[in-house]
Amino acid sequence: MAIRTIEVRERVMARNDELAAQVRERLAAHDVTAFNLVSSPGAGKTTLLERTLAEVGEELGIAVITGDVQTQNDAVRLSAHTERIVSAVITGGACHLDALQVLTALDVVDLGRTRILFIENVGNLVCPANWDLGERGKIVLFSVTEGEDKPLKYPAMFERAQHVVMTKTDLLPYVPFDIRLAMDNARAVNPDLRFFDVSALRGSGLEDWFSFLRQAAAPTLAGA
Amino acid sequence: MSLALEIARIAEDKLGLAAPQLVTVAVEVGDRAGVEPSSLEFCLDAVFATPPFTGAKGMILSTRGTGLQLAYLEVDDGNPDD
Repeated sequence: MAIRTIEVRERVMARNDELAAQVRERLAAHDVTAFNLVSSPGAGKTTLLERTLAEVGEELGIAVITGDVQTQNDAVRLSAHTERIVSAVITGGACHLDALQVLTALDVVDLGRTRILFIENVGNLVCPANWDLGERGKIVLFSVTEGEDKPLKYPAMFERAQHVVMTKTDLLPYVPFDIRLAMDNARAVNPDLRFFDVSALRGSGLEDWFSFLRQAAAPTLAGA
Repeated sequence: MSLALEIARIAEDKLGLAAPQLVTVAVEVGDRAGVEPSSLEFCLDAVFATPPFTGAKGMILSTRGTGLQLAYLEVDDGNPDD
C-alpha cells in the first residue's frame, strides 16, 4: 500500500476558540460579565447559584446557562429562584460544555437585561479546563468533602482559574479536611488565586461572594 | 476524550470521503498542554476505531510548551507501492 502524508498543522482548539471569541464579542456588546463555574460533581455549583439567584439575582441581573450530561434538573432547580431564563444545555454524553453550545444558548438569554452570566459547566475537573467558553474567568468550586490535594491532582483547572470558592464549610467540624492545606495546595499551582469560603446552605461567607459579584457587575451598573 | 473527538472532527473535515483510508493521526502535545499523552493516545485509538474511520492509530509527538495541534494525517491511497 502507498501511504500519503497530509500536513494539517491545526490547533486542536482553534475552532472552539473562534466561537469563544464570538461569545465574548456578543457579551461585550451588552456589557455582560460571564463566569464559567467548574468543579467535580457534587461540589455545590447549583446550590451556590440557587442562593445567589435568590439573594442578588434581580439586583445584579444574573442569568444562567447550565450544562449537564443528562437531565435538566439543575435548570429546573435554579428556575425556582428567578423569573429570568435559565438556559439548559444537555451535552448528550460529553464531559464539558463547548463554545458552540454557549453561543447557541445565548439566543434565549435576554442579554439586554443581563449583567452577570454564570455558565454552570458539567461536573468534571479535567475536560472543562481546556475549553474556552468566552467567559471572563473560571471559578473553581472546591468542597470540604473532597481531598486537600485536588489542586495537585488536577492542576490544569486550578492554573486556568482566577477564583476558588471553598464550599460546604459548615461541614468543617465534621470532616477531616485541612482548609489551609487545601488553599496552600491551590496556591502552589496558581499563586494568584483569590478564595471565598462559603456555606451556601447556612449562608456563611456569602457577603464576600456577593461583593465580588457586585464589583464584577460594576461597569454595567454604573452605565445602567 | 473530548479532545480526541475534536481531533476526529478536524480529520473528517480534512479528509471527507477519504476518511476510511486514514491510517495514522499524528498529534503534537506540549509538555505544558495539560494533556496526558498516553491517555490522549488511548482515546484517539478508541475514537478512530469507529465510522467513518476504520481503525487509524494515534501517534503522539511530544514537544515543549503548551501547544496541542493535529500535525499530520497519513492515508493509504489504495495504490500499490512504487
